[in-house]
Amino acid sequence: MLGDLTLWFDPERSSKVGTTPDYRFSLANERTFLAWIRTGLALIAGGLACAQFLPPLPIEHLREIISILLLLLGGLVALRAVDHWARTERAMRLGVDLPRSRFPAVLALVVAVGAVALIVAVLVQVF
Amino acid sequence: MPDPTPGAATDPGAAPQRTRLAWRRTGLSAAAVALLSVRPAFSPGAGPPEWLAAAGAMICWAALVGIALHRAPGLRAPVPAVVPRSIRAYALITVALAALAGWVVML
Repeated sequence: MLGDLTLWFDPERSSKVGTTPDYRFSLANERTFLAWIRTGLALIAGGLACAQFLPPLPIEHLREIISILLLLLGGLVALRAVDHWARTERAMRLGVDLPRSRFPAVLALVVAVGAVALIVAVLVQVF
Repeated sequence: MPDPTPGAATDPGAAPQRTRLAWRRTGLSAAAVALLSVRPAFSPGAGPPEWLAAAGAMICWAALVGIALHRAPGLRAPVPAVVPRSIRAYALITVALAALAGWVVML
């Protein structure tokens, strides 16, 4: 993990190891990074939209809590996106397997659990 | 133009173009976040905190669009290079936007 962090803050190092891969693979990695950033931005926009457009919920401050959780998730996705980009770039330069990650599955589970919780909250309010 | 990689003729510039469009699309997503952050500044009870938050969101958004514009000429090169610095800056500004949004929610 510490090695990954120095990779982050030392721009020169990642371009020195191994050999330069086909630029199209690097561009694909860059697009994947941007797609994750968009996911993060969508979560941030969702957090802001929750705070601005949801009516006050039965539990006090629940609206703000949901918003802040979405914003934290968005920030985490952005940080993870750059980390994953750096590790993928390094793996391509070294010619080793691309890094595997549980993050997409965990994110999907978190979002699904949040959605179910919101559905329950709405149903409780309706009945 | 030199033919830098084997098989490049079968992929005439589509990868750089897709990448440029991805940067642009991401800038548009950032615009949605910036607009939602700016919204409270136009509500009737808005004061300096809301104005400051709006200014911060606009600065972050301008920086994100600026990085995308800065990246575009590099993608026109025969062999586009990777840009670790731009990518890191982009992610960190996105995190800053999230922090700013948190402040807007707490106002």
